[in-house]
Amino acid sequence: MHPEIARIHELLARGGYIADRTIATSVYLSIALRKPLLIEGAAGVGKTEVAKVMARALETDLIRLQCYEGLDATTALYEWNYQKQLLHIRLMEGSDRPVAEREAEIFSEAFLLKRPLLDAITRAQAPVLLVDEIDRADEEFEAFLLEVLSDFQVSIPEIGTVAATTVPYVVLTSNRTRELGDALRRRCLYLWIDYPTFDKELEIVQRKVPGIDAHLAEQISAFMQLVRRVRLEKTPGVAETLDWSAALIALHREHLDRAAVEETLGVLFKHQDDAAAVRGQWLDGILDGIRTLEGAGRPWNGEAVARIADRLQPRR
Amino acid sequence: MERRSGREDRRPAPAAALDRPRRGTLVAHVVGFCRLLRRRGLSVGAAEAADALRALHAVDLADRREAYLALRAVLASSPDAQRIFDAAFWEYWMPPTGDEQPADGRAPGETAADGQQALDRALLDWEEAGEAAADGESMPAYSPVEVLTRKDFSTFSADELDEITAVVFAIARRVATRLSRRTRAARRGHLVDLRRTIRHSLRRGGEILEILRRERKITKTRVVLLCDVSGSMDLYSRFLIQFVYALQHAVGRVETFVFSTGLSEVTGSLARTDLRAALDEVARQVPDWSGGTKIGRSLRAFLDRHAGALDHRTVAIIISDGWDTGDAEVLEEAMAELRRRAGRVIWLNPLLASPGYEPICQGMRVALPHVDVFAPAHNLESLRRLERYLARTS
Repeated sequence: MHPEIARIHELLARGGYIADRTIATSVYLSIALRKPLLIEGAAGVGKTEVAKVMARALETDLIRLQCYEGLDATTALYEWNYQKQLLHIRLMEGSDRPVAEREAEIFSEAFLLKRPLLDAITRAQAPVLLVDEIDRADEEFEAFLLEVLSDFQVSIPEIGTVAATTVPYVVLTSNRTRELGDALRRRCLYLWIDYPTFDKELEIVQRKVPGIDAHLAEQISAFMQLVRRVRLEKTPGVAETLDWSAALIALHREHLDRAAVEETLGVLFKHQDDAAAVRGQWLDGILDGIRTLEGAGRPWNGEAVARIADRLQPRR
Repeated sequence: MERRSGREDRRPAPAAALDRPRRGTLVAHVVGFCRLLRRRGLSVGAAEAADALRALHAVDLADRREAYLALRAVLASSPDAQRIFDAAFWEYWMPPTGDEQPADGRAPGETAADGQQALDRALLDWEEAGEAAADGESMPAYSPVEVLTRKDFSTFSADELDEITAVVFAIARRVATRLSRRTRAARRGHLVDLRRTIRHSLRRGGEILEILRRERKITKTRVVLLCDVSGSMDLYSRFLIQFVYALQHAVGRVETFVFSTGLSEVTGSLARTDLRAALDEVARQVPDWSGGTKIGRSLRAFLDRHAGALDHRTVAIIISDGWDTGDAEVLEEAMAELRRRAGRVIWLNPLLASPGYEPICQGMRVALPHVDVFAPAHNLESLRRLERYLARTS
């Protein structure tokens, strides 16, 4: 393994993030080739975390731009500090300087509020720019972002063109609520993060929920593998796994049975319909699968769990 | 991570050895690999090939897994593309020996972490999974809309027509009401224009007497549709005409022509409010529906007779499989002129998504250099993508 990839691997692990080589290699290449990294995957698989690790690996700042529907250039790029401008106008009230001059003064850099995109290209040290959930912004914004990312300069009508002092490392994440444009895809390195495998999730539970009973951790991880095969409004991610583990421990549950699951279903499913569907339709099958695993002896392995999961519902 | 042994040693020497990178051969192999990916439908061009080489130089080339991951990060930019990439990678860099295929899309090496035992388990697992799926014990639950979205147009039955129309209308409406990111000053806009408000107040000593507003611009796309209704397109054209019909009703600035051996304008017929009546009238108006195709001649007729339909803000959409029985030169010339006069030329080809299809028929080959976007149009998902292309032009 390339020593730098090994270092990033190590950093990912130290950050409590159970890394795999795919992620470490992609992060390294994004840094080495200076290409933006586009990370896709379902919600709750730790996409945002990757950008944080990248910033740590580079020992630099992380600037985050959270996207949402209707996000526009003023929120992403820059905005004038209107309060400060108003105060300044008041202070200048008595002066007899011409209007044009006063106008130029309040539309100068001192009154400019840098939003994430402008901030990211005008730092002394290149930061990591995280454009989070780009799929939630509209396609117009995607095109605009592409423009900024390829030109690395911004034109502000009142000031002129602001050229980048540094080129940031860019990480984009998407939950795939909408297809992204080909132009954007082609500019980026691509990383797909799937839900963790049984073994990986077991490791995460054991590491992040200290003191959890080893067998309960196996049962929880197997349950998650099975329940993710079910078609739901919102498939539970790793965050839900951890919350659920904590809830089960708080209720002094030492192993998974129908009562324990029904009591804590609300932690796992954020939609009422999902909870109802699992309780009514799938819970028996899942618990049945876990019982089959119990019969096969321990420790459980990913292959066995996957086989049981296929019996419940073949992979889509 | 430690170098894996055992499994690697049993491998026959790879045909295109990634392990022995001599500079010249590596470049040739990477370019060859990129070409293969391109033939399989990935958008891999020279820029991507160059990036692939840079990526390989940045990693430890002796580590096959690392080289694989590096190439994949650069060359495959969606989960679907990754699947195509995986298959192509195995084929190209390693001749098949039976036990090399990853069980479930896992990267090579991952299953081999603990040697032979894990590999056997994985294979067993894989086989069993295959059997279980073949049994058909349980059906995957898809929503009807989703099935329709992915279903090829050529396999639709008449019952599904209404549902299709509804989805198509929804797409067309979105095309029509797209808001631009750009805004313009407006008396009653719902966005407050602080910048202009402040500027305005300067003239009154900083007193804000009036709040100025902006609104988002609505971009209008003008569309000219040229739809092939010849015999080779028969399976598709009736459904595509529906899309065209819905689009025309939603956007309002669409002019529609159909062609097979000749060209007919059907904008007026499709303007009727009832789809079935409109289809009947189009069929009546177009004498050679489902005949042979003379794409070049039809395009030429369009350019000569409807010169006013094109300007640099117009999107020209041609829907055809490119099976031209006419003169290739006429087609090439007409395409070049169309490209010059329209803002953007999109060619939708229903066959593009068929496995193994390559635009080799003569018509397609001469037309392709003059096309901005060459995209599939065989199901609703592909039409949704069309919406994106439309949005980008203005």
